[in-house]
Amino acid sequence: MTALLDIAGVSKRYGGVLALDGVSFRVDRGRIKGLIGPNGAGKTSLFNCVCGVLRVDGGHIRYAGRDLHGLRPHRRARMGIARTFQTLELFRELTVLENLMVPVDARSPRGMLADALRLPRARFEEHRADERARALLHFLGIADVAGVRGGDLPIGIQRRVELGRALALRPTLLLLDEPAAGLDSRETADLAGVLSRIRERFGTTMLLVDHDMSLVMRVCDDIAVLDYGRLIAEGPPERIREDPTVVRAYLGESAA
Amino acid sequence: MSGAARSRVGLAVVVAAVALLPALESDFQRGLDSDAVIIALLVLSVVVLTGFVGQISFCQYSFAAIGAFTVGALMDGHGWSFWLALPVGVAAAVLTGVLVGIPALRLSGLLLAVLTIAVALFTDRFLLVTGTWDGFSGGAVPWHPERPSLLGAPLTGSYAYYLFVLAILCAAILVVWNLRTGKTGRVLRAVRDSELAAATVGLDVTAWKLAAFGLSAGLAGLAGALLAVRIGSVSPGSYDFLHSVQLTALATVMGVSTIASAPAAAIGTVFGPELLSGISVSSTWFPLLIGGTLIVQLVLVPEGAVVRTRNDIARLSRLLSARRGRDPAVAGASR
Repeated sequence: MTALLDIAGVSKRYGGVLALDGVSFRVDRGRIKGLIGPNGAGKTSLFNCVCGVLRVDGGHIRYAGRDLHGLRPHRRARMGIARTFQTLELFRELTVLENLMVPVDARSPRGMLADALRLPRARFEEHRADERARALLHFLGIADVAGVRGGDLPIGIQRRVELGRALALRPTLLLLDEPAAGLDSRETADLAGVLSRIRERFGTTMLLVDHDMSLVMRVCDDIAVLDYGRLIAEGPPERIREDPTVVRAYLGESAA
Repeated sequence: MSGAARSRVGLAVVVAAVALLPALESDFQRGLDSDAVIIALLVLSVVVLTGFVGQISFCQYSFAAIGAFTVGALMDGHGWSFWLALPVGVAAAVLTGVLVGIPALRLSGLLLAVLTIAVALFTDRFLLVTGTWDGFSGGAVPWHPERPSLLGAPLTGSYAYYLFVLAILCAAILVVWNLRTGKTGRVLRAVRDSELAAATVGLDVTAWKLAAFGLSAGLAGLAGALLAVRIGSVSPGSYDFLHSVQLTALATVMGVSTIASAPAAAIGTVFGPELLSGISVSSTWFPLLIGGTLIVQLVLVPEGAVVRTRNDIARLSRLLSARRGRDPAVAGASR
C-alpha cells in the first residue's frame, strides 16, 4: 500500500520550546489514522505544518509523493488537503450554503471579470457550486440550516458545517482536529457514523485528532501517539489501548 | 407582481427620475448633481474595500488624485484624447492601489488606517507639491483638461455631462452588484471572516485582497478622472486627506456593507453643506456635523443608517404580509 502522507522527521520549534521533535509516520491511502496524545503534545502543530499554516523547522512532509516544502496553504488545499479546526473557523457572516460554496469557488478558475459581467460561465459555475454544496448538506443531514448564518448555529452544527466545508474541497486527505470537542455522546456516535460514510462514499483518507477515545478507537484503522512532540507509539487500536508507554503518558507516572 | 419584479420597476423609476429631474435645474445645480454622482463612485470604492473585505482606507482621494492628475497631465500636457487618458488614469490608480495593498496585507485595523493616512499625506505633502514632479502635478499652473465629446455629442453642457457620469455610475453599481452577489463577493466576505480558513479551503488570500485594493482604487481613480474633467482644472486641494476622512466617515454613517449607501452618502456630502447654508448656517460646520453624526451612529446604529432603515422596512413588510397571510388561516380555523 502506498502512503498518501509521509511525515519524515518533522520538527517545529517555538522559541525555546520544541513542539515537534523528529516526528515520523505515514498515512496510507484510504485509511483513517488516529493521532492522539495529551494536551500540548504537538497534534495541532503537526496539522498546521501539513496544511502549510506553519513552516517546519526540520524534516519533510510528502503528500502523494510530492514534497510540500514551500507551498502556501491554498496551494496545498487545491492539491486535495482539507482540514477542520479545533477552535471553530467557520465563515460566521456567511450562510451555511455559502460556507460550502466557497471551496468550490476556490477551485474554479473564474475571475472577477466573468463575475462583473455575469458571463454565462459565471452563472453556470454559480449553479454548479450551489448544487454541489446542497448535495453535501443533504449527505451530512444539515440541509435544513442551509440559509442560516454560520455564526448563529450551535457548536455541534457548526462542527458539522466545517466538516461539510472541508468535504466541499473534494479532498483526498482530510485532517480533522478534534471534531468531537463540545459534542455530547449521542452527537459523537453520530459523527463516527458520518466519518465512516464519508470514507465509503468518497474514499477519503483521514487523519483524526481527538480526545474522545471511544470515537478514535471506533473509527481509526491505526493510531499514532504523540507526547511532548515525540512519537511514542504507533499501531492498531487494540495494541495502543494496552501499550504501557501510552497509558503512562495519559495517566502520569504514578498510575503506571 | 413578484417582489423582485416590483423592486426592478421601482429602481427603473428612481433611475429615470434621477436622470430627468436635473433637466429642470440651473447649470450650477447640475454641477452639484454631477459632483454627487462622482462622489457616489468614491463611496462605492469604500464599499468594495471596507464593506466587502473589511479593509480600512483613508486615502481614497489619493487614488482619485492619481486618476485625475494622470488624465490632466496626459490631456493638457501631452495633448491626449480623454478617451485614451481615462483608461490610463484608471490603470495608474489600480496599480497604486495594488502597491498600497502589498504592505497592507500584513496589517489590519488601526495599523492599516495609519498606513493609508501615510499614503494620503505622502500624496498631499510631497507628490502633488509644486517642484516635486511638475510633469505629473502640473506645478504652479494647474492642468486644464477639456471635456470630451461622446460619439460626436459634446459633453460640455452641464446636463450632458451629468447624464454621462450618471451612466458611468449606474454601470459601476451594476458591476459591483454583480461582483457582490457572485463568487467574488462570497469569497471576499469569507476572507474578511477568517483569513486562516479561507487559505485552507484553497483561496489565495493575498491575490483576493490585492484585487479588492485594485478594484477599489480603480473606482476611485475613475471618479478622480471624471471630477478633473467636470471642474476643468486639476488642483491638489480637491483631493486632500481631509476629503478622504470625510468620505470614509459618511460611508460609515450610511453603512459600508451596502451599495445603497453610495448614493446616500454622496447626496449627504454634496447637498449637506448646501442645506446648511440654506438655513443660514455656515457650511464650515458640515464636517463637525458629520463627526457628531458618526459618534451617535457608531453608538446607536453600528450597522449604518441605510442598512438599519432597509432592515426596518424588510421587517415591517414581513410583519404586514404575515398579518395578511394569517387572516385566511384564522377564518379556516373557525370554520
